[in-house]
Amino acid sequence: MRRTFALTYILMVVAQMLLTNYFHFSPLCMATILPMMVLCIPTKVETLWAMVIAFATGLAVDLFVEGALGLNALALVPVAFIRKGLIGMIFGTEPFEHKENISTRKYGFARVSFAIILVTLLFLAIYIVADCAGTRPAWFVGAKLGISLAVSYLMSAVLVNLLSYDDRR
Amino acid sequence: MPKERPLASRIINLAVFILLETASLLMLSHNSTLQRLWIARLSHGFMAKTWGATQSVRNYFGLKSQNDELALENERLRETLRAYELAAKESDPAFMPSVKENGFRYIPATIIKSGTSSQHNYLILDKGSEDGVVANSGIVSSKGVIGIVDAVSKHYSYAISFLNKELNISARIDTSGAVGPLAWDGLRTDEGVLREIPLQFKYNIGDTVYTSGYSAIFPPDIPLGVAGEAKVINGATNEIRVKLFQDHSALKYVTIIENTRIREIEEISKSDNISGEDKE
Repeated sequence: MRRTFALTYILMVVAQMLLTNYFHFSPLCMATILPMMVLCIPTKVETLWAMVIAFATGLAVDLFVEGALGLNALALVPVAFIRKGLIGMIFGTEPFEHKENISTRKYGFARVSFAIILVTLLFLAIYIVADCAGTRPAWFVGAKLGISLAVSYLMSAVLVNLLSYDDRR
Repeated sequence: MPKERPLASRIINLAVFILLETASLLMLSHNSTLQRLWIARLSHGFMAKTWGATQSVRNYFGLKSQNDELALENERLRETLRAYELAAKESDPAFMPSVKENGFRYIPATIIKSGTSSQHNYLILDKGSEDGVVANSGIVSSKGVIGIVDAVSKHYSYAISFLNKELNISARIDTSGAVGPLAWDGLRTDEGVLREIPLQFKYNIGDTVYTSGYSAIFPPDIPLGVAGEAKVINGATNEIRVKLFQDHSALKYVTIIENTRIREIEEISKSDNISGEDKE
């Protein structure tokens, strides 16, 4: 059965909603796979549409989870905004020339991991700073950023291949 | 790297990015009080820094005229002081002038951002909590009341301008002693309206209007403007137009007034309320 990107993407959005609603590990830890999902949007999708998809994704998660409306959308749109530049910087021109998706099989686990860490770091930095809204001490923000980055990266690294499969039959 | 995009495409992407981020921030500020305060604090800080930088350049080029104005004001004050000293010496030859503690502390400040175009104008001043400014302090100039400090950051203060329809100043007409709230009329930057003046109080057009001193924010007898035409409201009170001494569209240097006894006044007001409730 051929998996389609859109269906997998929607299922992952639902998974993220469940994860956010039902798995509260600690106030110092939040787990997210949203930045990895936006990173894996096919390279043929223009930045403008990637930002619209990211905004809609963030808003959908915001609507169905506890928390401030707009927080996920605020943090996810910048990931879509820098996505093409970041892919070009880490993977070169090949993904754009061949209109390929990013996959660990083709580009290696290390490079994909590096890209996931960067987008997750960007997302979490914006999310945590906006969520804390200047009410938490710097050590709390730093600790939450570090722990959340580690947890989110591990989850994203496990799930990345579901979205970044090769298009070859 | 991806193929070079045309400039128009980059500009559109940037515009959409800003649009989506603004939409997210608006949603965030409308749905969470904590985030709303944070966003307001950030935007006020940003505006204060931006306007502070441009204003300091403008101030530099306006220094000469400001110096002239200050020199004139100093001379006027010296004249007034001499007149008071003379009058006091005539009545008591042993009189020595002294500075009397009146419960108010004065902090000079510069306006770095002000608005006059909306119905709810505000000011940003270049003095903050590090300079001793606290919220609910009054702001005056040599020509009248300018506003009230609403919030204070480390280096800046955010104030509600007199040109804000929500602000009322307790004011008194010199000759009759009638007291009422003075507010901006919402139309001109040099006119206000003195409301709720009972009909039995007579006054003349041209009488000076002062602060009453009934609020804990402003000391009494700060001249505000002169009384103009009045109209009767609901057959019960007069509403008097006041031509302000201070034109709020041309304003740069102000003085912040802190009532150092405000806590004492609030405490005694609170105990009065409690005893009032007890009586009921």
